[in-house]
Amino acid sequence: MAISLATNAATDALALNRAPTSVGAQEVHKWMQDFNWDFKNNRTKYPTKYLMANDTKEQFKLIAKEYARMESVKDERQFGSLQDALTRMNAGNRVAPKWGETMKVVSNFLEVGEYNAIAASAMLWDSASAPEQKNGYLGQCMDEIRHTHQCGYVNYYFAKYFHDPAGHTDARRVRTLGPLWKGMKRVFADGFISGDAVECSINLQLVGEACFTNPLIVAVTEWASANGDEVTPTVFLSIETDELRHMANGYQTVVSIAHDPAAAKYLNTDLNNAFWTQQKYFTPVLGMLFEYGSKFKVEPWVKTWNRWVYEDWGGIWIGRLGKYGVQSPASLKDAKKDAYWAHHDLFLLAYAVWPTGFFRLALPSKEDADWFEANYPGWYDHYGKIYEEWRARGCEDPSSGFIPLQWFVENNHEIYIDRVSQVPFCPSLTKGASSLRIHEYNGKKHAFSDEWGERMWLSEPERYECQNVFEQYAGRELSEVIAELWGVRSDGVTLIGQPHVTKEGKLWTLDDIKRANCVFKDPLA
Amino acid sequence: MSTVKDNSYDAGIMSLNGKDFADEYFKEENQVCKESNTVVLVLKKSDEMDFIVDEMLVKIFQKKNPSLVIQDRGGYWWLKADNSIEIDCEYASDILGKPYSIYDLLVDVTSTVGRAYTFGNTFTITSELMGLDVKLQDVAA
Repeated sequence: MAISLATNAATDALALNRAPTSVGAQEVHKWMQDFNWDFKNNRTKYPTKYLMANDTKEQFKLIAKEYARMESVKDERQFGSLQDALTRMNAGNRVAPKWGETMKVVSNFLEVGEYNAIAASAMLWDSASAPEQKNGYLGQCMDEIRHTHQCGYVNYYFAKYFHDPAGHTDARRVRTLGPLWKGMKRVFADGFISGDAVECSINLQLVGEACFTNPLIVAVTEWASANGDEVTPTVFLSIETDELRHMANGYQTVVSIAHDPAAAKYLNTDLNNAFWTQQKYFTPVLGMLFEYGSKFKVEPWVKTWNRWVYEDWGGIWIGRLGKYGVQSPASLKDAKKDAYWAHHDLFLLAYAVWPTGFFRLALPSKEDADWFEANYPGWYDHYGKIYEEWRARGCEDPSSGFIPLQWFVENNHEIYIDRVSQVPFCPSLTKGASSLRIHEYNGKKHAFSDEWGERMWLSEPERYECQNVFEQYAGRELSEVIAELWGVRSDGVTLIGQPHVTKEGKLWTLDDIKRANCVFKDPLA
Repeated sequence: MSTVKDNSYDAGIMSLNGKDFADEYFKEENQVCKESNTVVLVLKKSDEMDFIVDEMLVKIFQKKNPSLVIQDRGGYWWLKADNSIEIDCEYASDILGKPYSIYDLLVDVTSTVGRAYTFGNTFTITSELMGLDVKLQDVAA
């Protein structure tokens, strides 16, 4: 192959001017900062109402050479473990069935977050002007590409080794079917990449990563191990080794704007909006996946939340910034209520619409029910009795023709979807911090579950126009929608989602769903 | 200074269960963030990290900072301490018997709550507000 003139020129230049090999990486990092930008002419496609300082530092002082070496060691260790020891130990098939189903959601939805974080950190690279700050964001951009691959690999690995691969095999095409998808897009996509650049950094780095990756990516590994899954800790603990730099990036975003008068004016509102946006989805969804998607429990979700979100993030990140005017999020009290109850509210709805899932769910067992009542006093009277009724009506058995969604209709428990978060809620059954409020705008009705989302919508209604699943499928019969959106296994008739995880239990088919004659209805129509 | 008991994984309200936990959790005074001068570090278990935890953090650093708590959480070590935790990779290299830089350490540092940074071959996580109250330093070129 011919060597280009440019390659020849570069080779000649390096021969004359050899790059130093004995200089420490952090000395190189310092030297690199001299290659600076002309700040006066610095233009960004992604502006912010804040002024980001030009002298913001990078806490980990990374250069490309050490970054690449470090990340390659992480990958060698992770893939080495997966492809050698864990495969020989048949680790993918030793996972408790309920947990294997949970990982269909966790790995696939996290993949979407990582994918959007690529764009978010690239956007921040463009917005910032301090070279070290740019360097930190650039490293993150590359990390997020790695994480996207890692999450995809978890699904791929389980698809090969888990006893029921349906859902792991085709999560990308079927994940849009159920109501959990659009809420996930709100936190993991819109929250990270839409609007003011600094607001996106607060969503992604200061709240999403510094606050919620600890339960989502660290604590999840304890639940995984307890449920026989050593695949997830191998991958997720490796992902999180990059997250600490992302948390530092978020903190340095705040450092960069700390002395801008705009921070005093806007930062607390942006922080509260970001906190509520992220918690509104993560709090119930993670709690539901951990507690209802596991056989063996580690600790009540509310304790995990209290430790990582309230005590650590609230005290060590937000509390310490108090003297710079950063306040405790005004929505914290409602978030705490959600951390106690909202995941129980959500599972009730998630189980009711189980046919729209790309994963299997299971009713709480007697052992689970005792655990829930011991840790959430009042659980049985509010939720446990409903599950007993559903079980007695044969909700797990296709021959019963009973889908719990019908129970909501029979008992006039209307289900709405919050316009801002896209999280479903049932006002007459909720114990979390949700209550119904409805607005009309441009001839269209919008339901809201809380004052925090309502406030965000009132200030920017055009931002939250996402059509919810009830509007999208209104008037259509459930089995038609499932078939259209690939919610079936390779035989073309058996649903991927099932209302049980037992190997002996009968599997529901499209015909079973059709017999139930469930038709989607928009409660606001 | 906090005691080991204050900083443990199940300290304070976390030691309570059922209604006792709920009563404390929903108390009005617990509905706002409270400033904390602690830091949390999560270290992924590995050949090197297990050695660093045993030989440096337990045997040496804990004597300097008795508030340090280290707990085994399955796949990772969970650490919490008042003020700061430091790991000197020059010393780690000596006891591991092989070159071990700050970037080798970062391969297995899984998560942080607090301001973490590197300076030369030392990793620090601190409750100080680096970049605001305290300037982040560069190594001498």
